[in-house]
Amino acid sequence: MILHRLFTLGLILLLLAGCGGDAEDEEKQIVFAVGGAPSEIDFWEALIDEFSTEYQIDVSIVRQPTDTDQRRQGLVVSLKARDDDPDVFLMDVAWLAQIAASGWLEPLNTETDRIKTEAFFENILNLADRYNGKLMALPVYVDGGVLYYRMDLLEEIGVKNPPGTWQELIEYSQKVLDIKREDNPDFYGFVWQGAQYEGLICNFLEFASSNNGGFIFEGDSLRLNIPENVEALRMMHDIIHEHKISPPNTYTEFTEEEVRLFFQNGNALFERNWPYAWNLHQSPKSPVKDKIGIDVLPHFEGGESISTLGGWHIGISVYSDVKSEARRFVEYVTSYETQKRLALNLGWNPGRKDVYSDSEVLERLPHFAELRDVFENAYPRPTRPYYSQMSAILQKHLNSALAGEVNPEAALEAAETEIQDIINRYR
Amino acid sequence: MREETVKTILIAAGIILMLSFCLAPFFFMIVTSLSKNPEFLSPAANFKLTLENYSSVIFKESLHFIDYLRNSIIVSGVSAVAGVLTAAVAAFAITRLKLPGKMLILFFALAVSMFPQISIVGYLFKLMTWMGWINTYFALTFPYVAWVLPLSLWILTSYFSQIPKELDRAAYVDGCSRLKVLTKIIMPVAMPAVLSTMLLAFIFAFNEFMFALILTSDHHARTVPVGIALFQGLHGEIPWGDIMAASAVTTLPVVILTIIFQRRIIAGLTRGAVKG
Amino acid sequence: MKRIFSKDILKSYAFLLPFAFFIIAFILIPVIGAIINSFYQDVTFKAREFIQFENYTSLFQDSGFWQSLRFSLWFVLVSVPFELLLGMIFALLLNQIRKFRGLIWAAVLIPWAIPSAISARTWELIYNYNYGLANYALSAIGITQEPVNWLGTSIGAFISVVIADAWKTAPFITIILLAGLQGIPDDLYRQSRIDGANFVQGFRKITLPLLKPVIVVALLFRTIDALRVFDVIYVLTGGGPGGATTSLSIFGYNYYINGDFGYGSAVSVVLFAIAFGLSVLYVKMSRFKTGIR
Repeated sequence: MILHRLFTLGLILLLLAGCGGDAEDEEKQIVFAVGGAPSEIDFWEALIDEFSTEYQIDVSIVRQPTDTDQRRQGLVVSLKARDDDPDVFLMDVAWLAQIAASGWLEPLNTETDRIKTEAFFENILNLADRYNGKLMALPVYVDGGVLYYRMDLLEEIGVKNPPGTWQELIEYSQKVLDIKREDNPDFYGFVWQGAQYEGLICNFLEFASSNNGGFIFEGDSLRLNIPENVEALRMMHDIIHEHKISPPNTYTEFTEEEVRLFFQNGNALFERNWPYAWNLHQSPKSPVKDKIGIDVLPHFEGGESISTLGGWHIGISVYSDVKSEARRFVEYVTSYETQKRLALNLGWNPGRKDVYSDSEVLERLPHFAELRDVFENAYPRPTRPYYSQMSAILQKHLNSALAGEVNPEAALEAAETEIQDIINRYR
Repeated sequence: MREETVKTILIAAGIILMLSFCLAPFFFMIVTSLSKNPEFLSPAANFKLTLENYSSVIFKESLHFIDYLRNSIIVSGVSAVAGVLTAAVAAFAITRLKLPGKMLILFFALAVSMFPQISIVGYLFKLMTWMGWINTYFALTFPYVAWVLPLSLWILTSYFSQIPKELDRAAYVDGCSRLKVLTKIIMPVAMPAVLSTMLLAFIFAFNEFMFALILTSDHHARTVPVGIALFQGLHGEIPWGDIMAASAVTTLPVVILTIIFQRRIIAGLTRGAVKG
Repeated sequence: MKRIFSKDILKSYAFLLPFAFFIIAFILIPVIGAIINSFYQDVTFKAREFIQFENYTSLFQDSGFWQSLRFSLWFVLVSVPFELLLGMIFALLLNQIRKFRGLIWAAVLIPWAIPSAISARTWELIYNYNYGLANYALSAIGITQEPVNWLGTSIGAFISVVIADAWKTAPFITIILLAGLQGIPDDLYRQSRIDGANFVQGFRKITLPLLKPVIVVALLFRTIDALRVFDVIYVLTGGGPGGATTSLSIFGYNYYINGDFGYGSAVSVVLFAIAFGLSVLYVKMSRFKTGIR
């Protein structure tokens, strides 16, 4: 290969010129890629410190963005480049299939080294973590959308229970807005994730599946433009533009953290978010501390409350240079003790079932018992390796429907056609 | 006389408008970076002076801003020097030596500078993977040299062609080789031009975004523009204070360089674009 | 004399070798690689497969592709004339000043020197719905009552991107035009004023015709830059809302980063073909103008 030689020549020249990049050899170290809210990073940093002292294995954290798409893209770059870092990383259940199907995950079990899986949710392991019959990843936590509400404000309008239906949510919001707007022009009724990103899909699926809609697959053919979905999408649009109970920048700027802070600063009555927000809302400095409740999401008449299945799974890179050390780390993260701490410190729903019956957990987080079934029956997104492409198309069309650029039918029709093209191309 | 006054006032007003358009975003960046709260323009909040944002981007290691800055300076610096020297050798050949098809080479370089980066970067990623260079300085330095070459070549060709040919004729008569003529005669004479071309090449490489976005994955090689574009703070929401402080720290040296070398930058740009 | 120059042309070409190495290895080979790769299905989760023109046939049926092509063309059509107009005004103004010349020229240059990803981040904050400078200024002057949702509507996002891009690139045009303006002798204007022409007439009769070659250069440079726009949009809107500001570069990039290198290559080849066509046009015209030395 003349070309290869030419490049090597260039490399040598550059080295001689004395501008080398990263020449020094590193000792054995697990590089763990993780992102998320600041409290989560603090938690991981404390965790790896303890792991390092206990196992005498060095771990360093590579901080990823909070945004799930950006986290996936960062991993795709490293893995496609066959980089030996990161060794261990967290994957969103939404794109775990792409990473697994690309052959980038090292099976967690070897002949001699097996990880016990009895304690985990079997349905989730089958849905997400097993690929070609091999265990490739383990859930660190499972997730589902929940409704947070301000008990104090509902009381002011004489309402005892959180809304059961979306209609009630709109009604309550408007009543509270009538009171609150006078002294706080920035106050809104309901905040949720409407920006053009994966979170929008999750929100849409919750509206749609609570109206008996969602992704309707028959083999490889997909239906999206069905009346149930259209009604759900119209409701999302109207909440912003007709009822005006959600901020006008919902569909441009609102992702999890924007939504959480908006609610936490006391500027909203209802919030759709993941369970992680609970502990942050209840933190000592939070303006809404002890004023909030948590419940299942509302539904349409004739439907029932459903959450989108979310959650993050841990896996080992096939290009890792410290695989056996990495297995110890995965085992440590998914152990009973760590999972319990995840629940207590961050309010996350553990990937292990056995933690849910822990008395200390139940005492501190009574809503766990109530919500656990919801997560077990949550609505899964399609586990296809090209899900990201499907999602990107759907995000785009949902977002333009929310912006009012096109009507819901047209948006869903276009999404259906384009996603079908994607399926046909990659199947 | 009155017409002149009106004209002067109009021009002054125009210049004030122009300057505020050009500088307003820059000032907004600085002011936000000095504010405790990025929302100081909203009625509910007000402006409180702080240097916290600066101390956090400079001293918080987990933000890696200083790493990004160092990567940018090294990568752009090396690329600018290597690119301009390479271009100088080529410009020497084009302006001084008998070289059939030299105009073709110049126009070819011009065409290359117009290639969309997106049609280069996909395969570049594969190439760098194959070399094992992803997320190292090499992955950026080599493409950046290529990226600044066409511009540098045009500027230097223009400068070199103004150096009197009598100079090198005399040297050849003294028995100098062509390489000697380049290093001993042309380069010293053209040194100011070469340096200002390097400055332009540095700014070009320093500004580059797409290659750095795809060919690096973390603070070991990531450059400032990408770092700031993907900046995640320690406070969950978009940390505008930190972002603006980081932007200001990056921008200030560039602004100072621009003010000092304004004349040379303009000369270089107009040569590269207009005369050739 | 003649002996030295005619003896060994090959040796002269050797001076071009380093230059050729970098251009061939890091620009030409990647472009050729992209062209070859565009005939493959090359996704991370399947084996690489030769599929002839299938990427292109899918591409031409892909409404996302047409949307981004349409956006890119509109962006060129709106932003280039706007930037040219702005650059012309700036250049005429700068050409008038005598005091603080260095400082004012430098001030105009500053936007050009700041990395566009960084300035786009500042613009993102300026366009912020709740506390951005744009909405604050508009309501302070009294132009708008309600805040404008800059990045949330197709048209708003389009305008936002055009303004942010113009801010960055107008200085470049200004500098080029200024060089042209300074080449016009003052006597010409003096003469025309004596003939009774006002400023507008002088501009039309003298400035524009003499600047024409320079304008053509600036136009074509900017056209190709606008066609391949990436940084500003990536940071400012990410291509949204609803794909309304997805340029061809963003569209192709999204496929690369989703792991589909074949399709992404096909997108980039189309953009390359358009840009190459334009640059050939440019080279032809500029050869015409500059003449060969």
